[in-house]
Amino acid sequence: MTEQNDTKASSRAVREKAIKSVWLATALISAAAVVFILGYLIYTALPAFAEVGISGFLLNTDWNPTGSTPSYGIAALIVDTLLVTLGALIFAVPLGLAAAVYLSYLAPPKIRDTVKPIIELLAGIPSVVYGFFGMVVLCNFLRVALDIPSGFCWLAASVILGIMALPTIVSVSEDALFAVPKDYKEASLGLGATYWHTISRVLLPAAASGISAAVVLGMGRAIGETMAVMMVAGNAAIIPDPIWNVLSPVRTLTATLGIEMAEVATGSMHYYALFGVAVVLLLITLIVNLASAWVIKRTQTGSKTGSLISSKTKRYLKLAAATAAAVIFFCFLVASLGILWAIGISATVAAWYFGRKKVSHKIAEKSSFLLIYACTAGVILILAIILWDIFSNGLPVISWEFLTESPKDLGRAGGIYPAIIGTLQLVAGAIIIALPVGIGAAIYLIEYSRENFLTKALRTGNDLLNGTPSIVFGLFGFAFFVIYLNWGICMLAGQICLALMILPTIVRTTEEALKAVPNAQREASLGLGATKWQTIRKVVLPSAAPGILTGAILSVGRAAGETAPIMFTAVVFTKRFVSMNVFDPVMALPFHLFVLSTSVPGATPQQYGTAVVLIVIVMAIYLAAIFLRRHYQNKLLR
Amino acid sequence: MRSFKSSHKSGLAALLAAAVLVLVVLTAGCVSTPAEDDVSGTISLAGSTTVLPVAQAVAEVYMNNHQSADIQISGGGSGVGVTAITAGTADIGMLSRDLKETEKTGNDFKEYVIGRDGIAIIANPANTVSELTIAQVKDIYQGKITNWKEVGGADAVIVLVGRDSASGTREFFTEFVLNKEDSAKTMQELNSNGAVQKSVAQTPGAIGYVSLEYVDGTVKAFTIDGIKPSVATVIDGTYKINRPLLMITKGEATGLAKSYLDFILSSDGQKILSENGFVPIA
Repeated sequence: MTEQNDTKASSRAVREKAIKSVWLATALISAAAVVFILGYLIYTALPAFAEVGISGFLLNTDWNPTGSTPSYGIAALIVDTLLVTLGALIFAVPLGLAAAVYLSYLAPPKIRDTVKPIIELLAGIPSVVYGFFGMVVLCNFLRVALDIPSGFCWLAASVILGIMALPTIVSVSEDALFAVPKDYKEASLGLGATYWHTISRVLLPAAASGISAAVVLGMGRAIGETMAVMMVAGNAAIIPDPIWNVLSPVRTLTATLGIEMAEVATGSMHYYALFGVAVVLLLITLIVNLASAWVIKRTQTGSKTGSLISSKTKRYLKLAAATAAAVIFFCFLVASLGILWAIGISATVAAWYFGRKKVSHKIAEKSSFLLIYACTAGVILILAIILWDIFSNGLPVISWEFLTESPKDLGRAGGIYPAIIGTLQLVAGAIIIALPVGIGAAIYLIEYSRENFLTKALRTGNDLLNGTPSIVFGLFGFAFFVIYLNWGICMLAGQICLALMILPTIVRTTEEALKAVPNAQREASLGLGATKWQTIRKVVLPSAAPGILTGAILSVGRAAGETAPIMFTAVVFTKRFVSMNVFDPVMALPFHLFVLSTSVPGATPQQYGTAVVLIVIVMAIYLAAIFLRRHYQNKLLR
Repeated sequence: MRSFKSSHKSGLAALLAAAVLVLVVLTAGCVSTPAEDDVSGTISLAGSTTVLPVAQAVAEVYMNNHQSADIQISGGGSGVGVTAITAGTADIGMLSRDLKETEKTGNDFKEYVIGRDGIAIIANPANTVSELTIAQVKDIYQGKITNWKEVGGADAVIVLVGRDSASGTREFFTEFVLNKEDSAKTMQELNSNGAVQKSVAQTPGAIGYVSLEYVDGTVKAFTIDGIKPSVATVIDGTYKINRPLLMITKGEATGLAKSYLDFILSSDGQKILSENGFVPIA
């Protein structure tokens, strides 16, 4: 009898071990994917590095791969990438922060509850739609308003990227501000500080780490963005002259890949050089990611470790940084608006800065609030203009035929049915691949492991995969699945690329959901004699299900709107029949919109129509996630 | 506890519902009844975005005549066309340039010239200049002429718009118009004919180059050395800026691929070609 029990127990132990190692394996996947992708890109880029040398590649500013004497220097591309990102942050951070402050501290609860989901929804507008809008509306507006020869420039790219980053920045900083303990506010107000002082001196600093996370996330989105930048930046591979000339055309690393990858002859030096560009792009995002993780950690733990520099030098450094920032900002203003406006704006800012101590607190508070209201209104206005432009032009095109027929005459007539189905097939495949892996990884990280070197490495791997620009997935998928494994352009290649892209989100949201399950439940289950796996399966996972589901839905929304990972791997422009074979190519809405807006003359109504369908699908998915979250939040509060 | 349990149930229900919905949608589209036909099956074309529209237009007519044939066309670019044929991932490659020697070595390609394509130099309709010489175009693209007043127009800065460095159109333009010299670095690089057309259409000072078919009401084409670009002037040989459009296969084409190529080269196919702004072969 006891022997039997022993074998039972040992077989149980074996099974538990096996289950644990399965989850460990899934957890290893994201980290392994990053290493493999980077390795494969470097391997493919080797001929280019060998030909021009690493320093020549990085430091030469001349990118002219098909010139009479080809040159492969990417310094200008790197500089332009950083400039565009910087511009986007200068535009988006103040606006986003102001909107977040409004939503968390000034808005009546009812307005907050409607405005926040709306801004979050806008994170779901696919980048190709932003690019399309930028191309047709923004560049034209800039050209006329600023009276310049061409509106395709650094400023346009930064504004579009800034708008794209806004929802992320608003949403994440709002969460951070909302999470500041209420006691802080009451204590500060109780001491007699004005509400504005409380916000600016107490609450904002308390939320600093969350806000910096928001800025970094926005920055990541800006560096990695391809489609929108490619469509509005002008794409001349030059460093602006002078360097603050925001009206100069620029070309980013991502745009170079998006533009040239498709047409380059495989196996040429140009081809290898493009993989070199991808390596550099990936390395930059990895560095930004690691640095930001480090910064966030430092702000979270506080300055317990003590500062390396004395407070005096710190003050000097601060002053120097502020002066530099002011000078740079002034130059930007001169370049974009002209000298008179620049002096006017600077004078106003200076007057406010030096005069603020003299005005009464009441007036200071009033004017600050007014500024915040204005910024929030600006954010909403921008987003409203974009949606209005697209829906007012696109809705008349939508008809039953448009939704159920195949395209005719290159998409100028007929409908987009195969593209709708193709998009659904791509995201369905992506989620089927990513969901088990992501949930498994999260289960391992939360339930089975303690904080140690391995989990730290796994988390870092996951974060790095999260920061990988989507075009890099596309390039990797093209080189590895399409060419090396010889699958050709097919659905499966796209599904895997999209799955890799959304995997980190699923891991992270699942982790959060699992963490939220009270430990008492686990202990009760284990105490009743359940095994660890039984506990997880029967107790932990069911109560974490809503959170996991929300994460999954958000990922689906993101995957549905992405163009860059599928454009070289999975999609064709037209296809007659819808097929279920994963080795067949598919049509997809984002790519259809991209081709319609860049390669088919005379298809403007269909462009808008496709954009509307794409937005509606993505938004429906996001809306489902928002409702689900609210549903369960209300349940928990009750 | 009760609310927790019901919440987990409705969560699962939602998941289930979503799964069913996805399945229904996925299966909804795959009802296709192959009719009895001489040629059937699926072929894929990949390559030049210049050839894509006409290949598609021809394919649509072809597929109407052959109900069970499925011709899938993807763009990419001339390079992708060659790659796809080399790798065997597409049946027909589309090129808007000649095959390079490096691409020919080791591969048994069969080339079909399906038509010719005139390259028009375009400007915004508001531009008062309407005639240029090839030499002037060259100087403009090399940054030696930077203002429209230098060629008899208004005092406005010339905005150079061109194609990306991997483009077959750019390669042809560089060879034929610029004598293989580089264009000015300030040239804005866009990755398709349509993008160039759109950019020129909304930028009063811009100049660009596109396939003839992209010359519509939104842009105007320059008369070059006294010749207006059109299908007719390319055919009679007076408009010199034109190039061949190619389709390539690995070895001799067979089955549906052969049937499709035959159709393009037939008089019906060539008619579709010229309706789309391309130049039929004699």
